[in-house]
Amino acid sequence: MTISSTDGFTLEHFTHLVQDELGLPVTEGQLSTDFDELPDWDSLHLLKLVTALEPAAGRSVPVGRVLEARSLKEIYDLAVSG
Amino acid sequence: MTETRQDGSAGGTSPATYLASVGTALPGEAVDNNTLAKTLGVNAEWIEVFIGTKTRHFARDLATGTVRWSLADLCAEAAGKALAAPGVDPQDIEFIVLGTATPDTLMPATVNHVADQLGLDQVPTFQLQSGCAGAVQALSVARSMIASGEYRTGLVIGGDVCSKHLDLQRDLTGAAPGDLVNFVLFGDGAGAAVLTDEPRGQRVALREVLNRFTGLGREPGQVIEWFGLADRHEDRQALREDYKAIEESVPVMAVEILWELLGELDWQAEDLDYLLPPQLSGRMTRLITEQLDVPTAREVSCVAETGNNGNALPFLQIEKLLEQMTDGQKALAVAIESSKWIKAGFALEKTS
Repeated sequence: MTISSTDGFTLEHFTHLVQDELGLPVTEGQLSTDFDELPDWDSLHLLKLVTALEPAAGRSVPVGRVLEARSLKEIYDLAVSG
Repeated sequence: MTETRQDGSAGGTSPATYLASVGTALPGEAVDNNTLAKTLGVNAEWIEVFIGTKTRHFARDLATGTVRWSLADLCAEAAGKALAAPGVDPQDIEFIVLGTATPDTLMPATVNHVADQLGLDQVPTFQLQSGCAGAVQALSVARSMIASGEYRTGLVIGGDVCSKHLDLQRDLTGAAPGDLVNFVLFGDGAGAAVLTDEPRGQRVALREVLNRFTGLGREPGQVIEWFGLADRHEDRQALREDYKAIEESVPVMAVEILWELLGELDWQAEDLDYLLPPQLSGRMTRLITEQLDVPTAREVSCVAETGNNGNALPFLQIEKLLEQMTDGQKALAVAIESSKWIKAGFALEKTS
């Protein structure tokens, strides 16, 4: 079980969010995988992810930096730390 | 003075083509990202940053689904402006060519309704079924007709009502990102130009036109479906794009088109005063312009304000160009239709 968490929004929560909102069967172990290597990843997924992330994380997400992220883990870090 | 151009026959020349005037039409008020984001339930900043398009116009009232302007209405409005410009006489129009991906009906062809609205009769009309390259294809057809010597003046039109496929009445909560993104990418509009065989009005020479299918064996990068009575209930996404393929291929193709056109014209990149890059979205156009890398040329773009309204785009760009262009200046336009990978472009030079 994971550990990184801010205000209760854990990596596990984030993984479920990605699975549910994007329909991507990613595991927690794949969160750090570069987008180029992530099966079925498409940059358009960010539309749904960004939209779902803010209410889930309970804070606004820096969209510009999210678009520069190279992995889901980087996006999670931005969501919890800004 | 009227020029001629080499026509490829032994020592032969044919009339050169000039753009005398241009007109455009955008339906209704501009719809901004906040309004759209609220309606779609998506993040407004995402639209701003990822798509880079700030506003667009819709012929259809997205809230009620009511059609406020048909494609024919928008094309006739744009053409009416081009025909009313100084140096142009509507009575001189000898043919009409319309490029569109979204006709009002399959029959009659929309171009004929446009002619009717303009009060034009007894002229040949053509409609090209085409996406982002359609306006350039229409210019190409018109140029060939004028070069033939048989026609001296024609009306070229491009327009699209992409909102035909944007249905806000349906439940979008489960919509795929590739479906949702269409709402923020596209818009509606039309543009038109009068072409002549002699410098009139704006006196801008159409130096070169490129229109080439390059999609042999390639999967389409964009598909727009049309539905009939027998298949209208099939669960197919009406408008879909292969964004990965588009992001990979379009910038490369744009650079190839630029250099091919420069080579044909025997122009150097430094000779260009203006560059009209492909208008996919505010962000993609910015990235493509960087890759085209002609720092001495001023970029002329409109997509961030108009949305991607298909065949209207080159005319909207030309309209902005003409506001700035002075005698002797040169401009080059690049367009790509990712449906079946069509390379398109044209070159303009303002004559004195």
